[in-house]
Order: sequence, then C-alpha cells, then structure tokens
Amino acid sequence: MSLINIMIDNIKVRAEEGTTILDAAKGAGIKIPTLCAMPELEFAPGSCRICVVEVVDVPALVASCAYPVKEGLNIYTNNKRVIKARKMTLEFLLANHPLDCMTCEKNGSCVLEDLAYDFGIKKSRFEQNKKEITIDNNNPFIVRELDKCVLCGRCVEICNEIQQSNILDFGYRGSKTKIIADGDTGLRYSQCVSCGQCVAVCPVGALVDKNAQGKGRAWEFTKIKTVCNYCGCGCGFDFNIKEGKIVKVTSNQESIVNGINLCVKGRFGYDYIHREDRLTSPLIRKNGKLEKASWEEAYQLISDKFTQIKKESGNDSLAVLSSAKCTNEENYLLMKFGRAVLGTNNVDHCARLCHSATVAGLTQAFGSGAMTNSIKEIADASVIYLTGSNTTENHPIIALEIKKAVTKNGAKLIVADPREIELVKYAALWIRQRPGTDVALFNGLMNVIISEGLEAKEFIVQRTEGYEELKKTVLKYTPEVVEKITGVPTEDIRKVARIYAAAPTTSLIYSMGITQHSTGTDNVLSTANIAMLTGNVGKESTGVNPLRGQSNVQGACDLGALPNVYSGYQKVTDPKIKEKFSKAWGVDLPDKVGLTLVEILNAAYDGKIKGIFVMAENPAMSDPDLNHAREALKRVKFLVVSDIFMTETAELADVVLPGVTIAEKDGTITNTERRVQLIKKAIESVGDSKPEWQIICELAQKMGYNMKYNNPSEIMEEIASLTPIYGGIYYNRLDNGGLQWPCLDINHPGTKYLHKNKFSRGKGKFSAVEFKEAAELPDEEYPFIFTTGRVLYHFHTGTITRRSKGLSEVYPEALVEINPQDAEALGVREGEFVEVTSRRGKIKAKAQVTEKSGKGVVFMSFHFHEAAANLLTNAALDPVAKIPEYKVCAVKIKKALIK
Amino acid sequence: MGKIKTEDLIKIKKHTLAKRELSETGKKIRITVHMGTCGIASGAQKIMDALTEEIEKEKQKDIAIITSGCMGLCSREPLITVEIFEQEPIIYQYMDRDKVLEVFKKHILGGKVLAGYTLARGKEEQVKERIKYKGNLPNEIILDKAIPGIEEIPFFSNQEVRVLKNRGIIDPEKIEDYIARDGYMGMAKALTEMNQKEIVQEILDSGLKGRGGAGFPVGIKWKYAVQTESKVKYVLCNADEGDPGAYMDRSILEGDPHAVIEGMVIAAKAVDAHQGYIYCRAEYPLAIKMLNKAIRQAKEFGLLGKNILGTGFDFDLKIYRGAGAFVCGEETALMRSIEGKRGMPRPRPPFPANAGLWEKPTVLNNVETLANISQIILKGSTWFANIGTEISKGTKVFALTGDVNNVGLVEVPIGTTLGTIIYDIGGGIPDGKKFKAAQIGGPSGGCIPAEHLNVPIDYDTVKNLGAIMGSGGLIVMDEDKCAVDIARFFMDFCQEESCGKCTPCREGTSRMLEVLTNICEGKGEKGDIELLEEMGEAIKDASLCGLGQTAANPVLSTIRYFREEYESHIKDKKCLASVCSSLFKSPCQNTCPIEMDVPSYIALIQVGRLEDAYKVLIKSNPFPVVCGRVCDYQCQFKCRRGTVDEPVAIKNLKRFITDNATRPKINPIPITRKEKIGVIGAGPAGLTAARGLAQRGYRVVVWEELPEPGGMLRYGIPAYRLPRNILAKEIEEIKKLGVEIKCKIRVGRDISFEEIKKRFDYVFLAPGVSKSQKMGIEGEDMQGILGGIEFLRDFNLHEKTWLREEKRLGERVAVIGGGNSAVDAARCALRLGAKVNILYRRRKEDMPAFLEEIKEAEEEGVKIECLVSPLKVIRVEGRVKGLICQKMELGEFDRSGRKKPVPIQGSEFTLNVDTLIVAIGQRSEDLFEKIIKEIKLQTTNSKLFAGGDIMSGPSTVVKAIAAGHQAAEEIDKAIRTKNGESPYKPPLEEKIGIPLIIDEDIKELPQARMPQLIICKRINNSKEVELGFTREKAIYEAERCLRCDAEIED
Repeated sequence: MSLINIMIDNIKVRAEEGTTILDAAKGAGIKIPTLCAMPELEFAPGSCRICVVEVVDVPALVASCAYPVKEGLNIYTNNKRVIKARKMTLEFLLANHPLDCMTCEKNGSCVLEDLAYDFGIKKSRFEQNKKEITIDNNNPFIVRELDKCVLCGRCVEICNEIQQSNILDFGYRGSKTKIIADGDTGLRYSQCVSCGQCVAVCPVGALVDKNAQGKGRAWEFTKIKTVCNYCGCGCGFDFNIKEGKIVKVTSNQESIVNGINLCVKGRFGYDYIHREDRLTSPLIRKNGKLEKASWEEAYQLISDKFTQIKKESGNDSLAVLSSAKCTNEENYLLMKFGRAVLGTNNVDHCARLCHSATVAGLTQAFGSGAMTNSIKEIADASVIYLTGSNTTENHPIIALEIKKAVTKNGAKLIVADPREIELVKYAALWIRQRPGTDVALFNGLMNVIISEGLEAKEFIVQRTEGYEELKKTVLKYTPEVVEKITGVPTEDIRKVARIYAAAPTTSLIYSMGITQHSTGTDNVLSTANIAMLTGNVGKESTGVNPLRGQSNVQGACDLGALPNVYSGYQKVTDPKIKEKFSKAWGVDLPDKVGLTLVEILNAAYDGKIKGIFVMAENPAMSDPDLNHAREALKRVKFLVVSDIFMTETAELADVVLPGVTIAEKDGTITNTERRVQLIKKAIESVGDSKPEWQIICELAQKMGYNMKYNNPSEIMEEIASLTPIYGGIYYNRLDNGGLQWPCLDINHPGTKYLHKNKFSRGKGKFSAVEFKEAAELPDEEYPFIFTTGRVLYHFHTGTITRRSKGLSEVYPEALVEINPQDAEALGVREGEFVEVTSRRGKIKAKAQVTEKSGKGVVFMSFHFHEAAANLLTNAALDPVAKIPEYKVCAVKIKKALIK
Repeated sequence: MGKIKTEDLIKIKKHTLAKRELSETGKKIRITVHMGTCGIASGAQKIMDALTEEIEKEKQKDIAIITSGCMGLCSREPLITVEIFEQEPIIYQYMDRDKVLEVFKKHILGGKVLAGYTLARGKEEQVKERIKYKGNLPNEIILDKAIPGIEEIPFFSNQEVRVLKNRGIIDPEKIEDYIARDGYMGMAKALTEMNQKEIVQEILDSGLKGRGGAGFPVGIKWKYAVQTESKVKYVLCNADEGDPGAYMDRSILEGDPHAVIEGMVIAAKAVDAHQGYIYCRAEYPLAIKMLNKAIRQAKEFGLLGKNILGTGFDFDLKIYRGAGAFVCGEETALMRSIEGKRGMPRPRPPFPANAGLWEKPTVLNNVETLANISQIILKGSTWFANIGTEISKGTKVFALTGDVNNVGLVEVPIGTTLGTIIYDIGGGIPDGKKFKAAQIGGPSGGCIPAEHLNVPIDYDTVKNLGAIMGSGGLIVMDEDKCAVDIARFFMDFCQEESCGKCTPCREGTSRMLEVLTNICEGKGEKGDIELLEEMGEAIKDASLCGLGQTAANPVLSTIRYFREEYESHIKDKKCLASVCSSLFKSPCQNTCPIEMDVPSYIALIQVGRLEDAYKVLIKSNPFPVVCGRVCDYQCQFKCRRGTVDEPVAIKNLKRFITDNATRPKINPIPITRKEKIGVIGAGPAGLTAARGLAQRGYRVVVWEELPEPGGMLRYGIPAYRLPRNILAKEIEEIKKLGVEIKCKIRVGRDISFEEIKKRFDYVFLAPGVSKSQKMGIEGEDMQGILGGIEFLRDFNLHEKTWLREEKRLGERVAVIGGGNSAVDAARCALRLGAKVNILYRRRKEDMPAFLEEIKEAEEEGVKIECLVSPLKVIRVEGRVKGLICQKMELGEFDRSGRKKPVPIQGSEFTLNVDTLIVAIGQRSEDLFEKIIKEIKLQTTNSKLFAGGDIMSGPSTVVKAIAAGHQAAEEIDKAIRTKNGESPYKPPLEEKIGIPLIIDEDIKELPQARMPQLIICKRINNSKEVELGFTREKAIYEAERCLRCDAEIED
C-alpha cells in the first residue's frame, strides 16, 4: 500500500491507498458520523447510511466506512447534499423509534441519541405507524426491545462472524425486517449461548443487559478496568459501579486478550459479588457450630493451633492449599507463609487437579510448563490440532480464535476428542479416540510421520535429544495397532498425521482431556513429542498450548504454590535457590519436597496431616473420590478456610475467614498465555471481609513473622526480585495489557512465544512413552466409561456460578450426557433421572440424551453438589504429576425411578 | 455422442439441417407447438397432446411434431406453426383442442387452410426474404392470399431478432438444433482462434452494454476481471429476473438455453475462469429444466466441462436456484446468496470484477447480455454495432405488457422510438383508449408519458426522462391507470422487496408508501408531494444498492409527469382515472364532470321508479334532457361493465328517463339575498350558474345576444340531434325558479359592459366561443367560405329559410375539420341537398367528433377524406371553384400522443367544390377576450367571474354545466366570505331510497342498441334521428349495471 493524494472538503490529504474514506478523514482530523460501522471489528457494512459522503463523479453518495480511497478522489463529507441525506436517514430511523429516551437504558450512551442531537432533529415527520415488536424478554441475561432496533447489523455481525454462533440474522423483508434469533424463536429458545456480544455492540437500547435494567445509566457509572476471574483466558473488561455496587460488566475494546469479546460468565456472571450470603465476618467453630468472631479472635486461634500442631507433630503435619482464584501476590504470600512461617513444603493448589501433568510434562520436555504461544497467534495457525479441550464451553474466547483461524484464515482444524464437541463443526477431521488412549493415538500419528519421512529432520537434529528412543518406541505403534487401541480408523490416523506434519505451522491445543489421567504426564509428553517431531515449537502460531482452567492457575503455579518449587519454578531442593529465599525471607527453609494435594488429603485421612490452611479452594467438591476426600478433611484436626461463600469445604472448617472477590482487591493474575495482568479494586470489601493477602500478612504477624506490605505492588516487587521469569514485572508496566513471562528485567518486553531459538532447558527432550490403559476400565459390572468436565454456564465447583441468577437459570442442575443408543438400551429418555454408580459412590441426575457422548461413554460436569460427579471419580494418580484420573472411570447406570 | 472438435460442429450442423428438410418421401409435414411458459399457461400442452394422439391414431408417419419456445407474440398463444413440403408455412393462433383438431383434419390432412384461425403466412425467420420477394417466396406454394404475410404484420416486420433469432425455430431440448443454427461456433472460434485479449477486445469494440439494467460496458467489466490476478475466477449469469411484467430472460432460457451457456464459456475463456454459476430464480421451473438439460447435453458433447472442444480449456457450470428475493438480482446480493448467506448487497467497491463471489474476481452478466456474446464473436463487433444508436449498439429485448394489443417479447434496435414499439409493434392500445404512459425498467424505472412517444429508447435518453432502461420490462398503461396508484404499486413492491439492510431503502420506502397510500385513500395533505420528492431524492442518493437507489423512480417520474393528478387526489380528493376506490363511489359518477349519480338512476329504472330517477338527474344536472342526447358520456368509457362485455348505455338510459317520466314540478325560489348577479350568455354554463344562484336565493339576470336562450345547445347543435321543444322546456324551468333572461341584447352593442358591472354586484361571463378560426390559406377571406359555427348558427336561426332554399349553399361542399361542429355542419349541408366532403388532416380514428355522429354522417352520405389538408382556394371571378389539397402521412407523435400529420410532397390534388365550411376551431368575441384577460390578471375580491367555453375552449355540454355549477358556488362563496357569513348549506332534499339488486351471476350480454330513424326519412329534414329506448330495452340495459358503487358488507 502506498500513500496517495486525495481531497477531503477541499483540503489536500495524504492517505494510504485502500483505507476507507472514514479513516482517511479521521487521519485528517475530519469527523464523519457513523452508526453501524465498527472499524475496530473491521465491520463496515455501509448499511446505516449515516456516514455517507459525496465522492465527485460517483453518482450516488457512498458510505465512507466502506469506500476505499484511491489517488485523486475528491470528497465532500459535510456539504448540503450529504447533510440532507443524513438528516433524512436519521428522520427515518427516528420515525420508527419509540423515543422513550427518558426511561431507556441506553440514554447517555446511545449513538442514535447523539446523532439526533448533533443534527438537531427534534421530531420526525413520520410519526404514524411505528413498528411494534413484542419484547423478547425470556433470555435470563438479554432483553431484546426490537422496536428500538435500528437494524445496523452489528449484532448479526458479531454473532455470526466473531462469535460464530449464527443465531442472529436479518429476518423478513422490507419494513418488516427485524433481527431474528434462529427461526424467529426468541433468544431463549434458540441455540444462543448468551455471550452477550450483541449487547456489547448494540448502539441503541435494543439489546440490554437484563439484570442491569433500571440500575443506572452511562453517566452514573464509574468504570474500573479489570480482568475476568473465571477461566484462564484472562479477558479484560470494565466493572460498572454505581453507589459502591457493581451493576454490570461491559467489555472494553482495549482489552488485549479479548477486545470486545466476552462469554456469558464474564459478561453476566458477576452478580454473585453482592449476594446476601457472602461471608462477612470470621467464623469459629464452637460446640460444633460455626459462630461469628472477631478477626483478632480468629487470628489468635489459628496462630495458637498451628503453633501447637507444629510443636507437637512437626512442621510437615501442616499444609497450605493455595488458590488459582487468588492473585499472584496472594499465592506468593501463602506459599511464603507455608514455607517461611509454617516451615513446610506441603504447599499445593488445585492446579494439581488440572494441569500438574502439563507442568511436569512440558518442563521435562521443554523446560517450561506453560502455553508456548499466545492466544492471538492461534488465529494464524495453518493447522490446529485440538485435543481434550471443549474449548467453546471452557475457554470461549480462545474458541473464537480457533473459529477465526478456520473460517477466516483457512486453517485446518483437527479435533481429537471422544466427545462431539461444538468445534467438531469446524473441523476438517474429527477423530474419536476411546477415552484414555491418547498416548497410543499420538504414537500412531508419529509412527506415520516417521515412516512416511515427514518429520522435521533439521529441527530434530539441531534442537532436540532423545529422538532415537522415541523412534524405536513409536515404530511399534502402527496405525493398525493404534486403531485397535483407540478405535480411530487407520486411514484417519494417516490423514491426520500428514496434515499435522505438512503444515508450516501446527498449533497443538489441549486441556484437561489430556492431563486428567493417570497417564497425564505421558499424554503431555506425547504432545511435546509430536510438536518437536514436526518442528512445531519455537515459532509463531504453533507450539504446544495447554489451556489453563482457572483465572490464575498459571499464576498460582508460577508463584510456587506447589510442593516442589518456589516462585518461578525454582526447585526447593536446589540449595542455591533455597539459600536465596532463606536470605530474602530471613528464615531457614525446608528442603524436602512437600506433599501434593491428593497426598495431603490422603495423609490427612491417615491422620498424618493435622492442620490445613485452605485459601479459597473447595476440595470437598473438586477432589476425586469425594467421600474419601471429605472424610479426610473431617479428620483434619484444625482446618482453616478462607473464602467468600460458605463452601462445602468451609462447612467442615474450624475457622472460616471471609475473603473478598477480585472486585475488592488489587493484584495481578496470570492467564493461560503467561500474561500477567492487573486487577483493580473496584468496590470496598463487603462487611468485615478482607483481601487474602492482608489476611495472610496479619496471620503471619500474629504468628511472629514480619510480613508487611502496604499494597500488593510491594509484594510484586519482592516477587520480581526473587523470580527470574517475573524479574521485569512491575505494576507500572502492566497498565497496557500486562506482560507475558519470561520477563527477565525491567527492560524486557515479555515473551510472546517460548523456545524461540533455544528451549528453556537447552535442547528439547523427546520422551519415549508407552501406552498404558487407564486405571479403571469398564467391565461387566460397571460397563460405562465415566468422564467429567465443565459446561459453559458454570465454573469449577459452582460456588459462584450457581449464585449467579442468570447462569443458574439457564443451567440449573446436573445432567448426565448419554449417547442415544445407550439411552435406548437403558430405557432412559431425555430429562428422566438416572442413577450413576461407581465403585466409590452413587449419584442421581437427569439424563441428557445426546450424540455428543460416544457410545459407552457418559459425561457429567462437577459443578453440582446435589449430584457431585467427583463422588464417582477415581483418585488414581499419575505417578509423576499426581494428577487424579478424572477423565476415566467405570460406572454403571440405571434409570432412577424416584428422584 | 463422444467429445467433439470444431469440425464436428460443422458436420452436426449439416446433418441436422439435412434432417430438418421436409421432403416428399420422408417427413412431409412439420408441426411446431410453441411451448414457452406463456404457451403452456395458455394450454399448449393440451394442443401437443391432442396432436400427438391424433398423429398416432392416424398413423401418420410423415408428420413430424416438435416443440419450440415462445415466439414472441405471447398474447396470441397457444400458437402452432404448420409446415408442409413445398407450401408456405402457416401460423395458427389462439388454438384450443377443438380448433387444433379441426386444423389437423382440414389443413394438415385435408390441405385446406383455416384462414379464420391464422395469424400469418410464413415464419419469422423469413421476414426479410419475404419482403424481398414481396411476399411470394420462390418454391413455396401460396395457399390463401387473404391471410396476411408475416412481413405485413408490424409486430414481426418491425423487429430485429438477434438474441431471439432462434425463437420458435429450435427445440431447446436438442443441442443439435442449436448447433444447426451456428450454435457453439462463436465459442469454437474464441477457443481455437482467439486469445484472451482478442476476445475482450472484440467485446469492447462491439460496444455491448449490460442488458440487466445498468448498461455497464461488458468489455470493460471483463477487462477488469482479466486484470485482477487470481488463480480462481468465476463467471456468473444473472437469471434472477424479478421485475414485475418482465420475462425476457426466462424466455431466452426456456427457448434457447445454449446461447447463454455458450456466452458464459466465452466469458470464462476471456477472463480465465473455470467455474460458473447460473443464478436462476426457482419460480422459473421450465427455464431451470431447460438449462439443466442443456448443460448435460453440452457436457456430453464436450462443449462444457473438462477440455472443451479438445482445446484444454475447462469450464464447469452449475445452476443455483434463487428463492425469489428481488434484491438477489443485485450482483453483490446475488453472490452472497450463492455463498449461502442471506442475499443482501454490500457496498462497492470492491467491484465483483476485483472481488466478487467468495472474494474472487467475478464476471457477472445478465442472460440477454450473454446471449449476445457468441454472435459478436462469430460475426464480429462491426456487425453487432451496425445497428443501434451512436453510443448504444445492438438490439434490446423488451417484454411488452400491459394495456397494449400485442403483448409479447419484442427485440428492436436500440434507439427505436417508444411510439414504434407501442403503436407499430404493439398494435396500440386496446379498446381505443388513450395511451397514458409506459413504465420502463420495472419498479426501478419510471414512466414515460405520451408526450415522449418520439424518444429513441436507449440507455441515456430513457434515463434523462426519469426512467431507466432496466432489464427490458415495458408496461404500457392506458388512460384508465392512475399515476398515483401506479407509483403506490411499485413502491409497495420495492418496500416489500427491500432487503432491509440500509436505512433509506428499508425505512424510506415504507414511509413513501405510507404517504402514497394516504393520497390514494383521500388522506393526502398539502405538502405530501414535496415530501415525496424530498424523500425520493434522499433515498435515491443515500441507499446502498440499486434497489434503493432506484426505488423512488416510479414516484418521482409520475410526479414529474402527472403532478396534477397527485394534486387532484390531494386537493380535490379525486382520482380522475377512477382507480383509487376510496375516492369515489363508482367510476361513472367519478368520471362525470358534474358527478351525476348514475348507479342510482339506473337502479331506479330497473324498478320502474322513473320520477324518482328524474329527481336524481336534476339534482346535479339542469339539462338532463340535453345530456341524454348530446353528452359525450365519458362515464360510459369507464363503465366497469365494459370489462365484461360492453359498457352500460348510460346516456341512452338517461334519455329514457327524460322521455318517459314527468318532469318533477319546479317551484319558484324566493329572493332572500340582497346581491344581484348578472350573467352574460344563456348557454349551458350561464344558465346553470343562473339556476344555481337562484336556488341560493339570489336575483339573477341573464343577457343573451340571440333571440332565444340556449347558446350552443340552441344554435350549435342541429335539431335532428336535439329537438328545440325539449330544450325550451328545460330552459323554461330555469326561468320558473325566478331567473330573468334578457334575449336579443348584445353586450357591448345594446348595453355596455360597464353598465352591467355597475348594475350588478357580481357578473358571470359565459359568452362561449362563437367565431370560427381561420385556416390561414390563400383565398380564404372571401365569399363562398363559411365558418362552421357561423353556418350552424345561421342554419339554426333561419332553418325554415334554409330548408325552403331561400338561403343556399353551393352544390359541392367541403367541410374542413374533424370535430363535432364539422360533422354537424356537414350533415346540415347534406340536408340542404349538397354533396358533402369532410376533409380531415389526420386519420378517421383521430377525429374528435363522436363516433356515432361520424358513423351516421357517413350513412347519410357524407364522404370523409382523411389525411388531407387544404392548401389553396381556387377562385374564378371571385367564386370558389375548387380547393387544392395535399395528402398527409403520419409522422412523429405529437404531445397528445397522436401521430402528427405531415404533408406528402408532390401529392397535391384539386377538389371540385364551390363552398367551403371551415370548422377547425373556435374563439370568442374580441370584447370578451379582453375582459377575460383582465379577469385572469385580477387578484382578490373581484366581482367578475368567467366560465364555460370561453375559458376552456370549445368543449362539451356537460363540462359547460360543470363550469356553471362551479361559478354559482364560487360566486356564492365569495359573497359569503365578504359578508363574513357561514358557507351555504343546501336545503334538505327529499331522500330517495335506491334499490340494490345485484345479480351475482354475470352473463355476457350486448349493450342495447339505440333505434334510429331510417336514413331516407332523415336527410331532408330536422327530425330527430335517435328514437329512444322502449321500456323493455331500458330495463334490460339498466339490469346490465354491475352496481360497482355498492359497498357490500360481508
């Protein structure tokens, strides 16, 4: 593109050829009013006709948002003809508009209102026959008042082109045209996923946030930009605050990860913050009951008890469970508290349950256990190999990048998943392996790649080690062998292998479908193997990309909430490291690797762990084989839980401390792409609750350790000084989208993708991995494979999503997804209750008959305590990562006669 | 059939042609059934079945029966062509099962042509040759000379078929037929002898413009697509024909699908595309069937698909069915639709030639455009450009529909005038109605009114007139169409079809429709026209695609040409065309200048309540007796019964009432108002005004120059049409009301105008036009030449003197003119024993005189010579001895939509006459002309009013009466306004119950004829010619009334 000369309003302007008149004018300081266009989303349909301008020698007026400039254009943006047309267009729009601005949600931020004001149109001459369309009010989050709709098409665009839900479209013709959902069913009965993207882009009051109705308008809100606390995507958005309360969330185009995009939870799932049942004061168990107490009382009791246990049973009879929902600073402090104050490495958190295999496996292979590449790079990958991730439900914003890659950029998507997830629709190929056979599948793929000579020979030679062993192992896994194990046809194995290897950039994306196995680490190693084998590491838009589940699970790991490492994956067993931390923290530190989460609970069950501090975690719901886990927690002598609600775990505690939500504290969290982002305090703490970092400091002080910070940024300074990968992370550098680690010093720009010229560990290490069956396989008595996961509308143990009105309205109860053939054999119909039993427990829930589940496989989410899936799951652990096998266990099913 | 090469094409052609030849020994007879959608809709399939059955039954092996597409004259379907070895082909029209069986038996088997069923001798492809051989082709036996040769039928002889060259000839389902007509030869040439650049250049040189509507040069479009680099390119055919009334593309696809395919392959070769789509609306099942079959056959022959003609060029073609959204005819919407999305347009640029279907360079051409391509390649751009206008070359196909005799498809050189298309090819307007306007370009176009019949139809001219060429829809509208209603119709269409994407089109069209609907329903307001114009301009300017940019055209163009119609809808709440039903009760009443309640008095005749009927008459008409005889009865022309069989004889029924009922008693009305009003002229206008004013309580005096009141009724219309005593009675009743009529007083001579002004508070001038206009030719200003009106006046004043031959005309009289005065003068002259010739410069059908007057005059012996114009009077010793005349021919159309007579040089001839009566127009006395000028200049509070012929020019009785009514009302209103009084309220009238008898079962019945005096009894006297209906006849006729005034609640 070259610079060309044009005339705008008789002024000579230089502009880049092919940019729109709108942009060229903007560059020259000439403002053209717009309505439908959203240049930020590259959406310029030219449909509203507000931005029309006159181009000399073009007969009709043109939409400046869509008209590309070329040499010599002579443009008038503001002459009589243009103004006349714009005014008439506006008059037409106003003619159909209810003009109830005084009660409209959009008042103050309405584009139509602004335009009417700017053009001085008080009244339309066409006041008769306004269209009347029944309000679509049945969706729990979104109200569609279509008589206010100006048919700009923004919602249709975002729904179809970005969200790709394809729910909204123009329907009917002529004056009857309106935006319809599916076949004009109304949103509630359409396949709408309530992402609310449409609400975000609506320029008028036609699409509004239902739960914010009547609670304030644009000018009344203070906006605080922060980061979403649900999944690991790390989306930015604004809290809208009025009178100290969060009224709603609005997306913020400047958010680096997600732009304007948000999912249903991010946009509509924050009403839990102001729930009545928030914990507002410390509680102490007295006579078996939790009773209100003062902070002083609570601190004293905890201090006394922990000191006592320490004295009586040794440091390692204590443990702390950190939290992937808390900030980096809090995780750092709790880790520090455990190690420096309690003197134990029994520090872990729920990453153990999700991606410990990733940390273990990728560290072993590459030297670094995180997403190698960035979220935005996904869209430019030429092939995406997606396995063990139901991305649209669990990482909705990342799913948008995958969809974009496929539909806009021509990428080929391969889905390897036992379940028919939504992205299968976008897949060039879908292979449906039997749950728990991933190693075999990867080995099979690599077998084809090697035997067909498709491996990246130069890359292997220059940057890896261990290839020959790998080759030896892999060659045993011929497609025929693998078909027998996995059920994937040999032809598909060959096809996939060829696609994978041939592409210039293949991005492998996985999630807990890979990790939550007793062979989790092996699975992860396999992902690394295939990536290295094909040279797909260390470049843009490729790599091995585990999607982390919780908002700060990456950060919690980074900051050392693990039994074997300090912050930045610095080994507790390394004397130099230990020395560094001892010096910095002013205490001697334990050098033995601590227990992992499940081990801690097992030890507690066995009476070896006597005191646990649980920070905002809910193992009584999230751990496998819950009956066992809950019993373990009961057996702990002194259990302290900090949280915002009375969780299943808190109910078992001796002391409960009221923590705060992310809206009530400052700090940083690190998303799945290693991006450290600021969260900001938006409202005051509710009741007597306190941010966890403060609680930890105060407790430490009570226990005689000097832990004092004026604010979280001071904690981050300490982190930076002790943690090389966070070495350059300072709050004042994080305002514009944060930084991706490794960020080694104050001048380091952060790292978009890892292992560019060199793996973190030097050479990439191939690991020959043999296939092993899951710990528990179906048999005659328990003929079904049971697998678990999350659904779009809920998060983790449901603690907060089930307290969100809308989310629980859409998805109110646990469902057992079962294949139609199985359902028929069992005589079970959609909506009927079934009883699911494993060797460990039994639950009842409604059946959802769906092709999504393969034959012989049932799926459940673990969000519902009434039918807690983890009562059934198997606590068999991966020997390396100690991650439990959530994804495979054996169950039997029968129709439940009574609820 | 295997894959073929160019040389094989020639072989196939020869072979097929040879096979087609009829012979003595092989197939001797060929019957072609024309089975386009139009034919099938009219029953062609039944014809086909009947013939096939018959051939089988008769075991006639020497008869070939084939099908072909539409042959253009859709209104005459079903059509069949019968060809017999060595005989002239015969085309039969309006076939049905019985007729075709008769044709089969008598003509095909029996050798006897059924002339009554024929359309023409010869086939369309023979037109030029037949003209050359003057209708007698060598080697063809002529069967019946009474049947017109096809070259004599203007519908065919004025066309230039290029795109439609195969119509009616080939069987669209046989690729060999197409090849036999040089099919695929153009493609072969392009593929084997030309490179991309040469093909594009040939098209560029031809000047071919896109026939889909916008008229963008095809070559340039192709060039852009060539210049855009891309591995993948597309060629699309836009067959989403959506304009109401347009079906050119459908007909081509149905009748000659290969022509389109061939064009597409050439286009593909030109731009290096290998995939094409034909986007055809699903409403064209036959077209899709034909296309599918054609594509299949072309592929089988190796003329489509891989390695076409062995040249290595690949082009695949698919049909995409559109769901019938009008907007999908817009190229970007069409492409979106093919992409599987909702068909909505997007802004351009990028143009499809750069980024079209799936963002790839795409050439999109319309069906007709593509059908031109192969011939351009084969015959060259020079051949193509040898017809057309300077800037628009070639031909254009139009779908000629609406109020035109020959509904059908016509192909003419671009630049052919609208008049030629409508009048020559189209055969003019049915039922003798007037042409009002033609809608060109469908809902995106505009109308072209009668005043522009001479314009050449090409892209630019049409655009300058506010319409667009469009895809070729040409809807002819007669005088019965309402301009506002037309605009409303098209706006409704556009509004319904707006895709809803852009604001101006979506919202604007519905707002315009709202305003138009209001106007049509009588709810229009002042300012609406301006509002429509403002909206229209804005929508045109600001809309995203062609649909919106042109949606306002029908409105803007009807406003441009028929603004007064809009105004009368809004101001007077009147739809003159009697279309907008909210604005009137019945078309007859609506059309009547004095809004006589026709349905009511006809209903009263049915039940025999003639007195009540009379009361209804005189409510609005002081001269029902007169109007029952000499009215021009415009009401009858709009009578809805006319759409069934013939209109109700309203005039005659009116006369029946006045003939048979006693006139209701009239009581004098007391003078209650102080203002005195003088009326000048006791003609129908003056007397009506006087009556109206007297009824309102004014004292009125009427001044009349002639001895008796009545004006033109008394002194213009001869007694054999309007007996004196009848007229006198009606005038007597006006006098009875209290009106004073002073005769034999000429204003300006016997009393000064100033005097009248002084003596009266208000003056109404209705002196009429009493002087004949002059011809302005040599020898006119002397003895032996009479003005028409002067002669009639004198004749009526001194009838007895004339009849006693005390006054005398010559023996040979020529009457110049074609109006009622001319005919009246002629008939009077005839009654005085002269031989009378009427000379008229236009055609007889153009004569303004009443049709029955002309007929009666001719019956009585008047000779009417048309297309003749006088040049010079020959005098010998001052006496008229003859008249040199000149013959005329019809040239261009004048502003009224009639063809102008132009002299034929050297056609002079002399007529042997001794008297000339010049009745070519009338004017008023100088004095009054001066006063009228003053009145026209005056502003407010004037005491002078004028009306009748003096204001309108010579007009009808009923219009004069209307002017009188209006004058009475206006004068009264002026007085009351001046006095500050409330408006006049007429006294409560006696309520007359109107019976409602409706026979739902309508049978076709002829109009009752008026009995007339036999000719020998009328030519020497002034006896009334028309005798009046009998009671039975009247009731019969009254019962034919459809009562369309009735508002029936369901």
